[in-house]
Amino acid sequence: MVDHVLRLKLALLASAFRPGPALARTILTLALAAAVGVGIIVLALAVDVALPAHRAGIVIVASALSVAIAVAPLSAGLGSALEPGRFAPYPLDPRRLAVSLGIAGAIGLPGALAVVLGSGLVIAWAATSTTGGAVVAAVLAAAAIILSSQYLVAVAGQLAVSTMARRLVTTVARVVIGVAIAAAITTVLIVLEGREGEALSAIATVLGNSPVGLLWAAPASDLAALIARVLGGLVMVGVLAWGWGWMVARLLETPLRSRAVTSTTGLGWFDLAPATPGGVIAARSLLYWTSDSRYRAVLIALPVAPVIMMLAFAAAGAPLPPLWLVPLPVLALFLGWFSHNDVAYDHTAVWVHVTAPLPGAADRWGRCVPPILLGIPLIVVFAPLFATWSGVEGALPALLGVSAGLLLTGLGVSSVTSALGAYPAARPGAGPFDQPPTLGARAGWAQSLSLLATIGFMAPALIIAGWGFSQPEWFTVAGIAGVATGVGMLLLGIVVGGRAFRARAPELLTLVMRT
Amino acid sequence: MAAPAPVVLDVVGVRKSFGGAVAVDDVSLSVRRGSIFGFVGPNGAGKTTTLSIITGLLRPDAGTITVGGADVWNAPSEAKSKLGVLPDRMRLFDRLTGAQMLYYSAVLHGLDRATARTRSDDLALALGLDGSLDRPVRDYSIGMIKKISLAAAMIHSPSVLVLDEPFESVDPVSTSQAVDLLTRFAAAGGTVVLSSHNMDLVERVCDSVAVIVDGRILASGSLDEVRAGRRLEERFVELAGGRVAVEGLEWLTTFSD
Repeated sequence: MVDHVLRLKLALLASAFRPGPALARTILTLALAAAVGVGIIVLALAVDVALPAHRAGIVIVASALSVAIAVAPLSAGLGSALEPGRFAPYPLDPRRLAVSLGIAGAIGLPGALAVVLGSGLVIAWAATSTTGGAVVAAVLAAAAIILSSQYLVAVAGQLAVSTMARRLVTTVARVVIGVAIAAAITTVLIVLEGREGEALSAIATVLGNSPVGLLWAAPASDLAALIARVLGGLVMVGVLAWGWGWMVARLLETPLRSRAVTSTTGLGWFDLAPATPGGVIAARSLLYWTSDSRYRAVLIALPVAPVIMMLAFAAAGAPLPPLWLVPLPVLALFLGWFSHNDVAYDHTAVWVHVTAPLPGAADRWGRCVPPILLGIPLIVVFAPLFATWSGVEGALPALLGVSAGLLLTGLGVSSVTSALGAYPAARPGAGPFDQPPTLGARAGWAQSLSLLATIGFMAPALIIAGWGFSQPEWFTVAGIAGVATGVGMLLLGIVVGGRAFRARAPELLTLVMRT
Repeated sequence: MAAPAPVVLDVVGVRKSFGGAVAVDDVSLSVRRGSIFGFVGPNGAGKTTTLSIITGLLRPDAGTITVGGADVWNAPSEAKSKLGVLPDRMRLFDRLTGAQMLYYSAVLHGLDRATARTRSDDLALALGLDGSLDRPVRDYSIGMIKKISLAAAMIHSPSVLVLDEPFESVDPVSTSQAVDLLTRFAAAGGTVVLSSHNMDLVERVCDSVAVIVDGRILASGSLDEVRAGRRLEERFVELAGGRVAVEGLEWLTTFSD
């Protein structure tokens, strides 16, 4: 029984290495995991447990990474997860299945990382009086992480009854991992700077008294507290293990939740969007952004451009910390610019818009919704992090405002260019890198002009932001100027682009029919 | 006899040329309310071009089109809310499911959520699509795409339906369902303009016919006027240039064995 489930798990792991598009993802995942693993060991060797700030850092970083590791199995999509409900059709003994699944959960990247994280705790506390306590705490903590992730997989398997829900689970898991890793890195940087020691200790105390950090804080405690924490950890792991057995038994008895019910009546994004022309166009646009490989290629390429730019600047000798101000504005600029040929992506299906009596602005506005929904949260979440890492005093308002401004101005410009300067694009259903045979000079003009126009309209805000490096008060002005430019240009672009779209709709249709 | 029904679709002097080639040459048509108007012609005669111009998809070089008094090219919003369109050889947003496609089309034409949903269900039932609404349109066969397009064209209850080759690749059962739907629509005061290659079907369904050859209307009027006592197919072949005597193809009748 155990060896059957283990063999299944190993086969699943091996399947990730089969040649194909998934292989690239496997390699990326492995690289990320290796980086985290190496980072843990390096930090564990470097940390000095005699310093209170370092002790606090251990608890915070280890807690953050525990969460990331526990969530990790969900981030790969539930397709390959060994979720107990899937074993329901077979006549299995629930106890033995629970044990098998628990052991199988320890195998694979999350399991390995949990062990590395535990080892890190032992390395950090090696050659101190509490080494023994650290070893016990580490073993219990690793077991707790692995068991918790089994629960998460089982629960997510029950929740993910539709494609939408499954995608949502995966996305949430990836966001949680990203935030947790970012929090860990931020903590390390703050500890290295040697500032904010009290704040760190306060956070560490709160975490240390919660289940997440209970065991990670154990070696730092005096003997009585250490014993209490280890006992607490034992109880936690015991309850998790007993509960796991119970849960597997329940899931084996419960019939599978019907996976068809939600999809027969729902219209997906269309149920969430208002029943107006702009609303349905936004919903349709979101559906294409999330499912069409031409759009998804952009989502994948989007983070790459800023990284390459940072590397280029760094190679040219620019000092690293201020370079953290580069990625977000670049990402925002490209995200806004990407929509400049959106109509051509519809191909002849745009007739549906042309024959309907809808205002042109509704068409324009609907198409702007996905990049706004994607870009604004990214900016709001990452701007504070990047502003802190840059070490430039007071840069946050400028980073927020300029990034948002570039995104919105880009969308405003794109609203006009996609009506006026459309050029042939890859057809629906084509691969992300397929290009039409005749691109023509028009494509080059549309691409470069829309990019230059966006930068041109944002030039005042960018210049003011530049002054901020000598006088930080200007950063706030730049932020306000950026947002104001963005909102203004977006509204203007939607109105002008809407008129242009109505006026030129037949010509747009003729253009796409030729490709 | 009652006075003839008012003209709801009036096409006057429409011309369109691509480069030097004249595709539509001075086409004029009037379609009366409640009629099913068949638009027939050989391949490349200008049917799709004319219908695209009527529906606002292709800009004419000259001419005017009015739908229920609204000029398609000068008052597009008013005209387009009265038109239901099924173009030939144009994509749909094919990642949408059938249900999403109908809802999309309905809301774009100003329907509210509840009306859009109930009408989608009604049309799906009438056209035999009710089992397929949850599948993405790109998994549909050509015939099913025609049916979902017809449903999308009708969902906002337009006064004039313009359908380009609505029955191409549609099976006989579905065709008769669609014909029933169109007949009921016309009996209730709706107007249908459809193009087809199927002369029997046009003869059976339509009450008025226009024959277009090389961009010109050669005959137009009621079905009986146009076919002039013969079968429509014979009259059509005659108008379209007649049967060309098979010459120079003797090898085709001498077999090699």
